[in-house]
Amino acid sequence: MYLWKAWHDSRSRVMLYILAALSVGVLFGLNVMTWANWHAYWETFYPARRLPPVFNYDFYMVITFWMLDWVVLHYGQIVALLTGLSLGASSVGREYGAGTMNFVLTRPGPRRNFVLTDWTVGLTGMVIILSGLAFPLLPFLRAVHAKGPGNILAGLPALWVLGAAVYGLSHFTTLVAGSAPKGLTLSAATILTYGFLPTALHEWWHTDALLRAVEWTLRGVMYDAWPLSPFDWGATVFWLAVAVGFLGASLAWIRFREV
Amino acid sequence: MNDLAIHTEGLAKFFGKTRAVDGLDLKVPRGSVYGFLGRNGAGKTTTVKTLLGLLRPNAGSAQVLGYDIRQDLVAILERTGFVPENKTLFGSLTPTQLVHFNQGYFPKWSGELVARYAELFEIPMRVPFSKLSLGNKTKVCHLLALCQGADLLILDEPSIGLDPVITDLLLRVLVEDHVSEGKTVFLSSHQLTEVERIADWVGIIEKGKILLETRLEDIRQNYRLIRAAADTAPVISSPHLVSVQSSENFRSYLVAREAEDFAAMLRAKGMTILEILPVSLEEVFLGLTRKEVPCISGKLGTIPVPV
Repeated sequence: MYLWKAWHDSRSRVMLYILAALSVGVLFGLNVMTWANWHAYWETFYPARRLPPVFNYDFYMVITFWMLDWVVLHYGQIVALLTGLSLGASSVGREYGAGTMNFVLTRPGPRRNFVLTDWTVGLTGMVIILSGLAFPLLPFLRAVHAKGPGNILAGLPALWVLGAAVYGLSHFTTLVAGSAPKGLTLSAATILTYGFLPTALHEWWHTDALLRAVEWTLRGVMYDAWPLSPFDWGATVFWLAVAVGFLGASLAWIRFREV
Repeated sequence: MNDLAIHTEGLAKFFGKTRAVDGLDLKVPRGSVYGFLGRNGAGKTTTVKTLLGLLRPNAGSAQVLGYDIRQDLVAILERTGFVPENKTLFGSLTPTQLVHFNQGYFPKWSGELVARYAELFEIPMRVPFSKLSLGNKTKVCHLLALCQGADLLILDEPSIGLDPVITDLLLRVLVEDHVSEGKTVFLSSHQLTEVERIADWVGIIEKGKILLETRLEDIRQNYRLIRAAADTAPVISSPHLVSVQSSENFRSYLVAREAEDFAAMLRAKGMTILEILPVSLEEVFLGLTRKEVPCISGKLGTIPVPV
């Protein structure tokens, strides 16, 4: 029954995220297609002449390259991070925020069902959203002559497990903290620490073991890898293990959680 | 089968240094209406939450319907209807959807009772819960608890937001539809008149400990307020003395039984007995839990003496 309720509460949010993911992807795809066509148009009419430098380095081009570098190639990871954080915190956080946790936990049934249902609904939404974002990227990849759609599809599982790991982190911290804002803050702090601490250690004390380890875990999902590099089993299994670890932590925590 | 619906021994729940429930002993007979009374912060809601597994006890034991709260929580929840203090359910769902959600958990769920109570309590079944008034939210909470076929109803502040007509209806429904069927009602409330109207038993809790647990009939038949006058207050000691209230040269003694013997003892100590009166539940409650408040003159207004 909680599955029905969780989907009832999540469906509008999932639809909104799908729309947002599609919109951003389509907007970017159109933008890049325009840029690519511009070159095609120039080469059609002036095959012997190069595109004047002003067109290569004007503001429009700078923005486009910036978007290429930071938005699109990060697109999957950004969506995975944001949806993971949001869906993870909102599911259990909604019950805390509304004061309905005591009602939920006084329905007869093992408490683990509550966590497992949250995960089922959250991860289903996550997979739908992350799969949806692949489609607006197809025209982009075609435009820039990157590897084909098969490469995108091969990159999706890595994004799914990254999203699941972030979802697990967000769900667990919200469960522990007892509120969505606190859970989100803890999750963001954890992610930032994960991302920046190895770099800081490398800069300050020239210890690069942690940096190398973190870089290894991000193979296959970092911007310079996905969706242009082959599927990475090691990193994908690592993030899957992280996700399962957080699920186990949430299941253990809910057993003893007081409301 | 255990003849107690709720039985706690030395139940304790601490929050840091605060002893919210401190060695609580409760015996709630099956088929009774038990009024669980106490001031704000006395430990009523903490007790209820502990019985339902929302809080984990630090010490002691508790059985609900014969099931241990640490071992058999699911069995307890299947048989217990609960109306929480905060009256908060899923805001996005209508009462009809909440019924749909809830019925899946309870094999003894009664659709007939849903129709009956929805009409009787005039519940707007198609309005989202978040848009309902406090009174209607309380009604929906009762609807869900009353229709699940529970053997025990734990109602925390059950009449919050209800008008007198619906309150009257609710009390009648509890007695006529549920207690008459052998079910138990555990009523945690501040509304002494409501408790006095339907309860068989009362338990008064203060600072996490039970001060008094008795049949309401016992209070009606045996508890008496003895008003007496004297120039000086003699030292009185009796196992039946519940509380003493002082005002100038007058004393009011609340005694649990043998009022005539107690009055004779007062007379022997030189006091003049003005009257011996039967007492209400409210007078017993206040006698046990009233705070010592200095009068304007600086003298203490009351001196609670627990039994």
